Amino acid sequence: MDIEQLRKIASEVVARDDVKCLIGWKKGSYGYRIAPAFVEDTEETADLIFSPLCTANLATYLTLVEKLPVPRGQEPDTRKVALMVKGCDSRAVTQLIVEKGISREDVVVIGCPCPGVVDAKLLAEKYPETEEAAEVKWNGDGFLLIRGGEEIKIARDEVLAEKCRLCRYPNPVISDLMLGEPVKPWDVPEDSGVVEIEEKSIQERWSYWLEEFDKCIRCYSCRNVCPLCYCQDCILDRLNPTWINRAVNFSENTAYNISRAFHLAGRCIECGECERVCPANIPLGKLNRKLAREVREKYGFEPGIDPEGEPFQASYKPDDPEDFIL
Amino acid sequence: MSAMLLNKEKWPEFIGKLAGKNLWAPQAEGDAMHFAQVKEGETPGLDFGNTRVPPKKFIFPQTETMYRFQLGGTNIEEPVIDDEVVVLGIRPCDARANKIIEKLFKWDVDDPYFLARQEKVTLIGLTCTEPGLNCFCPSVGGGPASTDGLDILITDLGENYYLEALTNKGEKLLGEAGDLMVEDKGDGAKAKEKLVAAAEKKINRTVDTKGIPEGLPGLWEDPLWKRVSASCLGCGTCTYLCPTCHCFDIQDEIEGFDARRCRMWDSCMFEEYTLHTSGHNPRPTRRERTRNRINHKYNYYVDKFDVIACVGCGRCINLCPVNIDIVEILRQVKEAL
Repeated sequence: MDIEQLRKIASEVVARDDVKCLIGWKKGSYGYRIAPAFVEDTEETADLIFSPLCTANLATYLTLVEKLPVPRGQEPDTRKVALMVKGCDSRAVTQLIVEKGISREDVVVIGCPCPGVVDAKLLAEKYPETEEAAEVKWNGDGFLLIRGGEEIKIARDEVLAEKCRLCRYPNPVISDLMLGEPVKPWDVPEDSGVVEIEEKSIQERWSYWLEEFDKCIRCYSCRNVCPLCYCQDCILDRLNPTWINRAVNFSENTAYNISRAFHLAGRCIECGECERVCPANIPLGKLNRKLAREVREKYGFEPGIDPEGEPFQASYKPDDPEDFIL
Repeated sequence: MSAMLLNKEKWPEFIGKLAGKNLWAPQAEGDAMHFAQVKEGETPGLDFGNTRVPPKKFIFPQTETMYRFQLGGTNIEEPVIDDEVVVLGIRPCDARANKIIEKLFKWDVDDPYFLARQEKVTLIGLTCTEPGLNCFCPSVGGGPASTDGLDILITDLGENYYLEALTNKGEKLLGEAGDLMVEDKGDGAKAKEKLVAAAEKKINRTVDTKGIPEGLPGLWEDPLWKRVSASCLGCGTCTYLCPTCHCFDIQDEIEGFDARRCRMWDSCMFEEYTLHTSGHNPRPTRRERTRNRINHKYNYYVDKFDVIACVGCGRCINLCPVNIDIVEILRQVKEAL
């Protein structure tokens, strides 16, 4: 990754009058952590990085903005937000545009072709985190971990994030500016996580998920990190009527997790953020990828690919074979 | 109070003595530890890092039924909290947190639920010999062998466990297993001291809290709050995993004619926290909410109860999805003073 090119592009973008800020990644406070960077002037672009540790999908910040009432006599700030995106992240931006959550003009997309990021948990298991903020680079087919003056070569399969193993869109599907050259997509294996669950009997599946949902502490980090969970008025926050009780028990937890999965069917772009941030280690990716696969196979639909397309739930094909409807 | 040595070979027997009690201990679940009930015949080990979710649920459950009632009826049925619980392997930071939040639950009105549960729980702590990467307990008044809030403290000396009874409850429990242990003649205490000193040296993260509680009000409008909260997602991870966070919300839950009033953990990082019925919210954005989280721990609580409401367990740092690091925030606060 050419860091100079990144800083040059970023400086030019933040210098634009019609851009409010640029959202990218920067080194975190320790170990393998990365923090989102909100860059408002050209000097701060020196903090920006793009590395295999940049897992976070920053598209979530496009709809997370809290708008305070504009004081009388002032104009609302309508400048664009510039956003650094990997392939998966770009699908979230596209899907937001399709759903009219944002408009294309609101955002400057800086595409970052991505050879695959690391799963920081896996990396920390094999190479324990230290207080020093480490650096990881793409290195041929694998990764290079740099810390304490030491360089460790790591094979790609050893620490690659699962979402990347299954990724079919490593290159951004939309972009205004592109960082570096497109990468060559790789062969995607069968989704073993989903298959493993499909092979269980209905009872086994039910008890598997009940056990998983029982761990949920309802911190809602999965909802909040999700770029496509952006309803102004989420059913979870509703108290009258209360659709899902606040009580934390497996019944309400299951209602919550299944509702969220269904609300994302045909919308989830498989960035894996929900599973990454879950403090209870619930394999949410399996749930969402299963629904994504059903939608892909049964309806031939994939969300977040075509900014001119229609949302899945709003599309209708007269020649739909309907061969699975009883 | 007595200090005893227990040979590790007798550990299963020691656990056997606790059989019949409602015993909870940390157990592995994937790559994380969590407190689970010990089933008959199981022997929990003490070889683990701290649990992801703090064990505050034993005195402050995530959902607590306050009373039950029937729609249209006038009788209320209060729950009886009579479950004796023994928690094995709680870390000194988490036990200390219980004592810190107790101050609030005993403040103007005695909170019957919290105090009843506290009465019924026996906490057997474990000295931290391998502190985590983000531990900073000595900076906020704790330490790897802090005994605040514990009934018994166990230290792993290699061949033996060194057990100290710290309260009458602890003394009584140790007494039940007295025949398995020998009294410490001082060697155990010395060995423990060495281990604790070594553990303290392994703690690299520090916060210089001097001046922070007094200085925070002056930083109310400081640009630092916008900076540190910019990436906040507004989820409840930091607060739900915090052993000292104690905010709750009270709600009625109704199923048919059966209803209950219950209270559940709430998080100051949520959008509807302090949202008024008028639609006004005194903390309208994550900037104000992040500021509140830090101020509550390092200023309001200090003002009222003379103690920082943070025990330095590092959980909020470990699991924040976007690397919001309280040590780093406090460093910036210090810098801005």
